[in-house]
Amino acid sequence: MSKDCPTAERIEGLEPHLALAAYSEGLEKWLGSSPPSLGAAAAPNPSFAARVDAMSQLMKELFEGGWGRHGWPEPLGGLGGTILHRAVMWDSLARHGVRGMGLFEHVEILMPTLCAMAPREFMTAALPGFLSGRELWAQGFSEPEAGSDLASLRTRASAVSGGYVLRGRKIWTSWAAYATWCLVLARTGTPESRHRGLTAFIVDLRQPGVEVNAIEQANGTDELAEVVFDDAFVPAARVVGAVDGGWDVAMHILSSERGTFAWFRHGFLYQQLLSHLGCMESHSDGAVGEALLDLAAVSATSYQGLLSHESATPLGPRAAFTKLLLCEAERAVHDRILADDPDLAVGLQDDETALLRQEYLFSRIVTIYGGSQQMQLETIAKQLLRLP
Amino acid sequence: MTSSEADEAFLSSAREAFRRDPGIGALDALGVWDLLDELADREARAATFAVFRAHGRELGQSAALGCLMAHPYVAGEGFAPGSLAMAIARRSPRHGEVVVLLGDPSVEHLLIDRPGSGAWIVSIDDIELQPVRIAGRLRVHEITFDPGDPLKAVIPEERAKEARRRSGFLGRVAAAFEILGAAEGALDLALDHACTREQFGAPIGSFQAVRQLLAWARTDSAAVLEVSRQAAALDLAAPSRFDEVAKALAGRNGRRICERALQVLGGIGFTADHDHHHFHSRVLALDSVLGTSAELARGLGAWLREHRTDPRIPRQLLHRGVGS
Repeated sequence: MSKDCPTAERIEGLEPHLALAAYSEGLEKWLGSSPPSLGAAAAPNPSFAARVDAMSQLMKELFEGGWGRHGWPEPLGGLGGTILHRAVMWDSLARHGVRGMGLFEHVEILMPTLCAMAPREFMTAALPGFLSGRELWAQGFSEPEAGSDLASLRTRASAVSGGYVLRGRKIWTSWAAYATWCLVLARTGTPESRHRGLTAFIVDLRQPGVEVNAIEQANGTDELAEVVFDDAFVPAARVVGAVDGGWDVAMHILSSERGTFAWFRHGFLYQQLLSHLGCMESHSDGAVGEALLDLAAVSATSYQGLLSHESATPLGPRAAFTKLLLCEAERAVHDRILADDPDLAVGLQDDETALLRQEYLFSRIVTIYGGSQQMQLETIAKQLLRLP
Repeated sequence: MTSSEADEAFLSSAREAFRRDPGIGALDALGVWDLLDELADREARAATFAVFRAHGRELGQSAALGCLMAHPYVAGEGFAPGSLAMAIARRSPRHGEVVVLLGDPSVEHLLIDRPGSGAWIVSIDDIELQPVRIAGRLRVHEITFDPGDPLKAVIPEERAKEARRRSGFLGRVAAAFEILGAAEGALDLALDHACTREQFGAPIGSFQAVRQLLAWARTDSAAVLEVSRQAAALDLAAPSRFDEVAKALAGRNGRRICERALQVLGGIGFTADHDHHHFHSRVLALDSVLGTSAELARGLGAWLREHRTDPRIPRQLLHRGVGS
């Protein structure tokens, strides 16, 4: 019996993690005991900062109970197991009413790549730090002049003794105002080197030479930020992957962001649709059914993504299908919620409505981040359909 | 060979079989009758449904869907392989219930199910078959059948009830695969056209508007493939009405794929000489039976609203790998 997992038997033998079924059952038992941190994370709270606090507390308890350590490499502070453990965890949290992953989306977007490519000494502290909600992460890719055309980014990393200094400006950096660490893609090659001259760095956002300015969004949250680097020093030990190999790091991340991540997010969409059935009228039946079809499509394709990830055969450009289908499902679900609850259009009367409005508005821009819908379509046209 | 390579290889031999013989002979050659007795096996199911995908892709003309759907009613009763097909009922706003046989009527017997009364097995010689004139290579016959005394049902309602559920599941999943195959046929035509047809001095597939139509069509087909495969893999363990989800998605997406392909093909794709309409008609015909996508979607929505049943795949199944 592991002290980390007090409610279920461990696999006999050497593995420190629970088999999937036992994990699922044990976690269910813990969540069923209604821990206060679960209640706080499930409560509608229109303050994004309060949501970050609530989720961080829940992650801390999941980590301490061992649940949050499953599916992550043992040498880096996890308990081993596979991505299916993580799939079960987020699915269970959605079913118990947690509204979304919030900025812990970055656990699934960044950590698989960092575990594979970042310096091990750094990750042994950083992975547990993030999984336990203590030190959060941002992703610094986009720039004012480099959106869909990521390879044109200009933030410069110049080699100095013991490391690099960064100079430049990132924008749309998700959750930078809440994060300790940022994975930054910067140019180490010539300005013409395009994707060949990029390197990925881990940057401490609290250090001198780094300024984070939160951007208030149209839905009232401040999840995005501008990050300015003014000769910020980064030690050589915080390079991820190879110098000038940043494009590989970015592609690795995008295959999580577009492929497996859809599985994690769609569980919350199912939950939202199901929890709104009470407001829906019979005239919506057809449209609700259509939304269910969209969810089934993202569920099946992204589950395939999980299995591919588990067997170390990444989806590659096929991840674009999953990303497009996730966006379609997200829009369909929120279309339904708005159609039968017009309070969202005008009202901020209560916390629930205010949060729903935020989520509805956000569903209008899911087709922009992580590679716009148009870029996904182009990926399919070029790499899968091989169009001229 | 990985399992997905093996699947691809089987699909391609099934396509080849239908190119040689679009009728029932291809089903003989592919060993489909043996597969039908082994549908409890996941691989046998995958192979069976791949036959339907190939049937759609190659515009097969057999009564395969009816044969598959008849099987649960008569398993082990000694009907010669391919001798019995089920006639499928659909709802017509003009004529009420219409019973149709899809594909070549070269079978000896028809199974006609009357929910509430039982099922009948009738010699095809004793029944009036009215050919339906529709475009495309799918043969459709409407059937007139008066069951007379319900006490004379060959398969009493009690037994038919059980078989009906299984038959409906298999039929809807098979129809989803056949719709997928036919839609893929339409998409392939459009892809060829986009690479060869030049306008403004360049292949039209180099224009973003055209590329996006095709990329959406491909995304829609990926969704149908994965959901249908999941239904096939889960089989009896699938959540309630998952066959309806697969069939509704196939019908909706299948039509969208054909429409986008048609837009890319332009006027030439809307001529009787061009093959597009064969695929498109196949999709429309299959969407019309076993619940149209619109009917099924509405039904699924009502079911969710009224019963609050959880439509998700049970979490325990995640542990066993319910993908393709």
